[in-house]
Amino acid sequence: MRISTVKCALAGAAAGAVNGLLGAGGGMLLVPLLSLWCGVDDKRSFATAVAVILPLCLVSAGVFAVKNTLPLGVAWPYLAGGLLGGALGGLLFKKVPARLLHRLLGAFILWGGIRLLAA
Amino acid sequence: MTAVSILAGAVCGVLSGFGIGGGSLLMVWMTAVLALPQRTAQAVNLLFFLPTAGASLVFHIRGRQIVWRAAVPAMLAGTAAAAAAALLASSLGSGLLRKIFGGFLLLVGACELLRRGPKR
Repeated sequence: MRISTVKCALAGAAAGAVNGLLGAGGGMLLVPLLSLWCGVDDKRSFATAVAVILPLCLVSAGVFAVKNTLPLGVAWPYLAGGLLGGALGGLLFKKVPARLLHRLLGAFILWGGIRLLAA
Repeated sequence: MTAVSILAGAVCGVLSGFGIGGGSLLMVWMTAVLALPQRTAQAVNLLFFLPTAGASLVFHIRGRQIVWRAAVPAMLAGTAAAAAAALLASSLGSGLLRKIFGGFLLLVGACELLRRGPKR
């Protein structure tokens, strides 16, 4: 399928708005948009979303740092764990079937939504 | 507690590396289990994604898994939108953001579970 630059830009803007507003969730919006709407290969849309979200988080964290103090004391163990987990995820990515990725994504999102609304 | 946090970061990091919302799982862990304020959890989550995505991207780039033709326009438009939205977020209350996020998750989760698998 042909990849539309305009559609990709719109998908990125939507993900950026969600990510900036809520601090998470942009990637989960971006993966379905990239694969179903923008014409990006199903499996690669996951890795591509990671690449797109990184600069978005950088900007959002920068804006947060200007307005508030970054909670580095709370954050550092997660950053250390994330570094290890992220490397492992990158290493395993090619071996994981896309279907499993979609099922996991859907299950986690739904569970998260229920917890947040019930809280 | 620190060891548990590192482990939580690592588990969510694998999922984040896959691009399937490890950040959202980490948010749920921090807000629902640890009862951290939503705003603190959001900031931790933003920071969390930087080393996590960086580490996984090394492998994604090497493995040619990134479609740059799609990624570059999405990054440019997304960065602008993220900056605007982050400014807006700091003037909104935590409770409302939590409800918005919860509703949003239900919608996307239902879509992902109901979608048919790729025909391959």
